[in-house]
Amino acid sequence: MKTYRLISTAFLLGTVLVGAAQAKTLVYCSEGSPENFTPAINTTGTSFDAARPVYDKLVEFTPGTTQTQPGLAEKTDVSADGLTLTFHLRKGVKFHSGVNGFTPTRDFNADDVLWSFARQSDDKNPWHKVSGGSFDYFSDMGMPDLIDSISKTDDNTVVMKLKQPNAPILANLAMDFATIQSAEYADFLMKKGTPEQFDQLPVGTGPFSFVDYQKDAVIRYKANPDYFGGKPKVDDLVYAITPDASARYAKLKAGECQVMIAPNPADIPAMMKDDTINLIQQAGLNIGYLSMNAQKPPFDKPEVRKAIAMAIDRGAILKEVYQGAGQQAKNPIPPTMWSYDKDAVDIPYDPVAAKAALEKAGVKDLQTDLWWMPVQRPYNPNAKRMAEMMQADLEKVGIHAKLVSYEWGEYRKRAQAGEDQMALLGWTGDNGDPDNFLAVLLGCGKDGKPNGNNIPKWCDAKFQDDVNKAVTLVDQGERTKLYVDAQKIVDAQVPWVNIAHSTVFEPVSKKVTGYKVSPLGSHEFENVDVTE
Amino acid sequence: MLRFLIKRLLLTIPTFVALMFVTFIMLRLVPGDPIEVRRGERGIDPARLEQLRHEMGLDQPVWKQFLDYASGILHGDFGTSIVSKTPITHEFLTLFPATLELSLCAGLLAILLGVPAGAFAAVNRGKFFDQTLMATALTGYSMPIFWWGLVLILFFSNTLHLTPVSGRVDLVKFYYPQHTGLLLIDSLIWGPKGAFLDVVRHLILPTIVLATLPLAVVARMTRSSMLEVLEEDYVRTAKAKGLSPFRIIGLHALRNAFIPVITAIALQIGSLLAGAVQTETIFSWPGVGHWLISSISRRDYPALQGGIMLIAIVVISVNLLLELTLGIINPRLRHDQ
Repeated sequence: MKTYRLISTAFLLGTVLVGAAQAKTLVYCSEGSPENFTPAINTTGTSFDAARPVYDKLVEFTPGTTQTQPGLAEKTDVSADGLTLTFHLRKGVKFHSGVNGFTPTRDFNADDVLWSFARQSDDKNPWHKVSGGSFDYFSDMGMPDLIDSISKTDDNTVVMKLKQPNAPILANLAMDFATIQSAEYADFLMKKGTPEQFDQLPVGTGPFSFVDYQKDAVIRYKANPDYFGGKPKVDDLVYAITPDASARYAKLKAGECQVMIAPNPADIPAMMKDDTINLIQQAGLNIGYLSMNAQKPPFDKPEVRKAIAMAIDRGAILKEVYQGAGQQAKNPIPPTMWSYDKDAVDIPYDPVAAKAALEKAGVKDLQTDLWWMPVQRPYNPNAKRMAEMMQADLEKVGIHAKLVSYEWGEYRKRAQAGEDQMALLGWTGDNGDPDNFLAVLLGCGKDGKPNGNNIPKWCDAKFQDDVNKAVTLVDQGERTKLYVDAQKIVDAQVPWVNIAHSTVFEPVSKKVTGYKVSPLGSHEFENVDVTE
Repeated sequence: MLRFLIKRLLLTIPTFVALMFVTFIMLRLVPGDPIEVRRGERGIDPARLEQLRHEMGLDQPVWKQFLDYASGILHGDFGTSIVSKTPITHEFLTLFPATLELSLCAGLLAILLGVPAGAFAAVNRGKFFDQTLMATALTGYSMPIFWWGLVLILFFSNTLHLTPVSGRVDLVKFYYPQHTGLLLIDSLIWGPKGAFLDVVRHLILPTIVLATLPLAVVARMTRSSMLEVLEEDYVRTAKAKGLSPFRIIGLHALRNAFIPVITAIALQIGSLLAGAVQTETIFSWPGVGHWLISSISRRDYPALQGGIMLIAIVVISVNLLLELTLGIINPRLRHDQ
């Protein structure tokens, strides 16, 4: 590591001395250090953001959207039965040269794709256990149960066979865990006897090549002049690791960085007035909800669940808890997602009608628990305050809620086990596909039992048919019809109270052009420019 | 002297063992599983959780985990981070120079300002300067570090544009080899023109923030110690002999008042490292303080245990060194104990 750092430093020093006047640098104030630089073994957005400049995937998300576009595969054919995907790989794509003493002798090809998936799927692969051997996203997205085989027909064609048709597979392959890495670099390090460096000193095909990383301080990249998408507009990309949100804002104001992540909600009004900052905002791909356990009376009755939804003043919650940085939710999926049911009618705040409905359902002086998460989440900035406000609202209709909380890991485990009666929770989307919300959060298995992440423990046969069928269809129009129908079932059955979709704010210097906020929460800089 | 040294060295062993035990137990008492805490809303399959716990040795009885951990430390192995999968010693050695540099600067500032200010206040007891200094010291003593840091950033960096907001060096202008990790040295020897001054500019605000508390303590301690010494017979004798006030205070009184001050400074090493946790977070200072804080939220047991033990080794070593120094300065201390 040290030797590499010295070499890269000497190289960069030379570059700086020669071209300091012309070099264009973009500084991004990030929030923390990455776990390492291999997305397949990571789970945090911070780590994905750090690896993203270096790598490409077969399929990419179009910047600023959840739609997919060609990546390292310039064309993808899906067979009529949806079981075979054929990836036609780009030719002439080069891996970064000079990183960690590695000089590639060949261009990117099918072997790199096979290697990248084999490391995750085959526990006998010599690279499987390197750096811990935990490929959480690969498992979580159901890839082991989905992929039957991956093979190559020639150097530029990869064939992936699935066990059953799966429409979101392309969106899954655009996720960071499906990053394509260099098989040749892996061999190089294995021969050198330093395999662990593979995940620390990354070599990819991406728009920027890795230069240096100093833990908790900085990550440096330089533009890849051979990038197949064209050389990025800035010459150097610097991630200034700045854990404190107030310090990030101060740095942005002082011109020490040009893009920052995660501002303090309290700083938003000042940012809006700041002439030097563009405050870009977008509805987040998330949902915050209040789950009601449909397996525990009286929450097994839809009319009771609906009455509770009517009893809660979500407008007040939006104002007080989200401080305006959110949108009241009327559907279980966010409005930025395709298939969102625009015609859905939101449940109004009506405590009088709620009380009447509860009495009609025979619910009077109900004692219940109401769980709140002990942590701040993107979809819920202050669960405790939210729970207190709900408690007060419920009291007005004769429901006496006792507030309960646990340590975060314990909270999630107990909620997933269905120990709660009412619990606050939420979700942030992974791949922009409705299946990633509806099936994951409200789905049930073939045995009719709710999935682990189905916190309300609610199952509905028609809903399940819709989502099961939709996931097998390729045609997005057909899928949309089924998901809209599924949302209508949820809206009628009210397994949870839709609370809000939080707004994502991205403060960017006015000197920056071409920056797009990703609904998936990622940060990408290949098309970004900085003016002096 | 050798006996004194051996005695002091032997005394560090129980301290070290007790700390190792307490750190280990405390971390096990904190709710939260290091694997589950990383999984967020997604959760984890119970079978997979068990497998991971087994691979990390977390399914072993606590006493067995402790013995493994203690045996590792005795062999110089402080473990591997659950998060980054890198050896703790490597992470610590990468980050510690930043903390050391900041703490040394803050300690130095506290001594250079605190000692003369305290001495001057004692000489002018009850006068305006003394009262102002004591009020300022009390304010410094009770200053919330986070708030103080942000106020300084807003005033000096964002309003007056005199100092950088955070970090150790201008990341765009300067990039040069870091051999020691102490940027004052690296920039002076290997840095391009202007790098050293840039490093100094970056050090100003965090040094002030971190030095605030020790400065107050040193000033107050020097003052009270000086007041005691100024009442001593030999000072009166010196005055009667007609020595100049500078010689009486500077040469005789201050020298004798220095022993409790050095003890106070030694005790401030712990405060400096504790203060560094917050200071490093505000100023994005890549040191061990911020590393430990993020390790807590990630339940990175090995990083926390190893980090605390390594810091303890530093603190114990420095204290030992200071005790030995005091033993040399004042032979009575060697014989008393």
